[in-house]
Amino acid sequence: MSPASADLKHLYYQMLRIRRAEEAIARRYAEQQMRCPTHLCIGEEAIAVGVSAHLTVQDKVFSNHRGHGHYLAKGGDLPRLLAELYGFAEGCCGGRGGSMHLTDLEAGFVASTPIVGGTVPLAAGYAWAEKIKQKAVEGHRNVVVIFFGDGCFEEGVMHETLNFAVLKQLPLLFICENNQYSVMTALAERQPKRDIYPIAAAHGLTAVNGDGNRVDEVYELARVAVANARNGLGPQFLELHTHRWPEHCGPNEDDDLGYRSPGELAEWKLRCPLLQTRQMLLAKQLSNDTELAQMETQLAEEIEQAFEWALQGTRPTIDSMGQHLYA
Amino acid sequence: MRDLKMMTYGEAIREALDDALAQFPDMLLIGEGVPDPKTIFGTTQGLREKYGAERVLDMPLAENGMTGICIGAALAGMRPVLVHQRIDFALLSVDQLVNNAAKWHYMFDGQQKVPLVIRVIIGRGWGQGPQHSQSLQAMFAQVPGLKVVMPTTAGDAYHFMLAAIADNNPVLFIEHRWLHHIIGEVDKQAPAAGLDGAAVMREGRDVTLAAFSHMSIEALKAATTLAEHGIDAEVLDMRCVSALDIESVAASLAKTGGKLLIADCAPEMASSGHQLLSKLVLAHGDSLKQAPRLIVYPNHPVPTSHYVANHYYPGAEQIASAVLEMLGRSELTASVIGALQSDLPKDQPDRSFVGPF
Repeated sequence: MSPASADLKHLYYQMLRIRRAEEAIARRYAEQQMRCPTHLCIGEEAIAVGVSAHLTVQDKVFSNHRGHGHYLAKGGDLPRLLAELYGFAEGCCGGRGGSMHLTDLEAGFVASTPIVGGTVPLAAGYAWAEKIKQKAVEGHRNVVVIFFGDGCFEEGVMHETLNFAVLKQLPLLFICENNQYSVMTALAERQPKRDIYPIAAAHGLTAVNGDGNRVDEVYELARVAVANARNGLGPQFLELHTHRWPEHCGPNEDDDLGYRSPGELAEWKLRCPLLQTRQMLLAKQLSNDTELAQMETQLAEEIEQAFEWALQGTRPTIDSMGQHLYA
Repeated sequence: MRDLKMMTYGEAIREALDDALAQFPDMLLIGEGVPDPKTIFGTTQGLREKYGAERVLDMPLAENGMTGICIGAALAGMRPVLVHQRIDFALLSVDQLVNNAAKWHYMFDGQQKVPLVIRVIIGRGWGQGPQHSQSLQAMFAQVPGLKVVMPTTAGDAYHFMLAAIADNNPVLFIEHRWLHHIIGEVDKQAPAAGLDGAAVMREGRDVTLAAFSHMSIEALKAATTLAEHGIDAEVLDMRCVSALDIESVAASLAKTGGKLLIADCAPEMASSGHQLLSKLVLAHGDSLKQAPRLIVYPNHPVPTSHYVANHYYPGAEQIASAVLEMLGRSELTASVIGALQSDLPKDQPDRSFVGPF
């Protein structure tokens, strides 16, 4: 079952919003005012959007260093994300975190952090608590989603968490964004030649893989996985294949460094999740050039206004630096 | 009416966990062996039966993952108490403790909190050896955002455990295995503990003995024998390693003529005694009137063989000798040491203990 027509347009809009926001961040990054390590998710938007389409505000998301897309797709506040990148007090972490530490509790985006694997057990713990607390409510439970990369699958804590999640049949979705690179190190240098998802399946959960650049495919896989987790069928695992376009950290492309095979990035760009969805919308006459142009205008305005708001932010006071060490 | 009871330190821990499980519906008690037949040296006995397998449970052998899982549960409103039978296993969870638990409240600008207790036990004796008896308290106390406490008495064990569970921050709760059998008074109506501040275990006027955990017991033993020889030592139990109470040490030194001996259950290079001295000198530079002494373990791991391990740990005898030297009363050393000597094997804290433990 593919997403309904209206859904596909909505999914496209959400992906476009992340893409344009990331591009705007990349453009402004050169101004040297966003002074924090920033990992853009351009090229990987379909996964965040296709999964989050099935989540309510009560469902929770945990993420990693490349978290802008996850945050925005879950409904995280864009102006406060930008203010965080600028280090202003109005940022979603008050300037404590920067790009790699995001939170928007009102949107159900609990946290992203950059130690690889760091948030994986936290998501399971959150799901555990949800399961304990919601025991009385039959038939429906909130789910928790953890987004991570192929590199994270090499971490011990990943497997410790998979084990516990299956043991306790947690309402938890493991979303592995396999973009084949950990910083600049290719998957073949880090893992044997085999798929990731069967290793997860060996822990005893439902694990499938799919094209992470096809938002309709992600949407469908996530629909089933979220429903399963909600209905008490335990944790679910999706390995979704995708590719990061920009450099690991920073606003530029780095294909000239030669760590990717010649033509690899160009090939993935042809498989752009936005391009493929746009072609689908036009081919099925679900949208037209005028409407797509209106989307662009609307998003350009939203993003411009978000930057204007963020740039009027205030510096955290020096006195505030020592606050919140203890609750 | 006051609810005064005499009980062992281990029983006080069990009592506190019991009372906390009753008081906090969101508390979880989890760890390797928590519900097993030996129940963490008896400290979790009967709790699963009373509160159910969902709240009192064993765990996979995954210290780092389970610490993260407990942090996640804490973020969602639970109050997990995670137990490691030996502190050495907590080293596997340093990533989650340091990178997440200790910083979470700070790095998310106070919007989230981690009410988590990590209960760990320092082993000693009967060949615990290099990986079952480490002294890591000073290392953990160096992490901003982590509270580290080492209560010494049964009363403190009870109240500190309750306070740690009620606290909205991660607390590393360190028990020395050799404290578990020691009987003390537990007054449940006593005011709640604050997880800071030293305690005066014995008042005195001749010398200040500032000690940590089991070394406070050794200091007290030394002080009792010294008193029989006319020397009146004040014993401070430092209790809170991440919030060293320098003010109480300075106040004691004002009474005892600026003579300080620190006794810590840690190798010299890993001793919180250095931190205590440094903070004391920086805050109260004139409080010391003569060179202080530090009684600690040697700078190497403890071997397993009891033939050598028995010579690793200093105790009341070394403390008393050092005090006599400081006071220029070395003529009493032979007599004091003679009174302190015991025929108890040195790798047993008490005659009731039999291996393996």
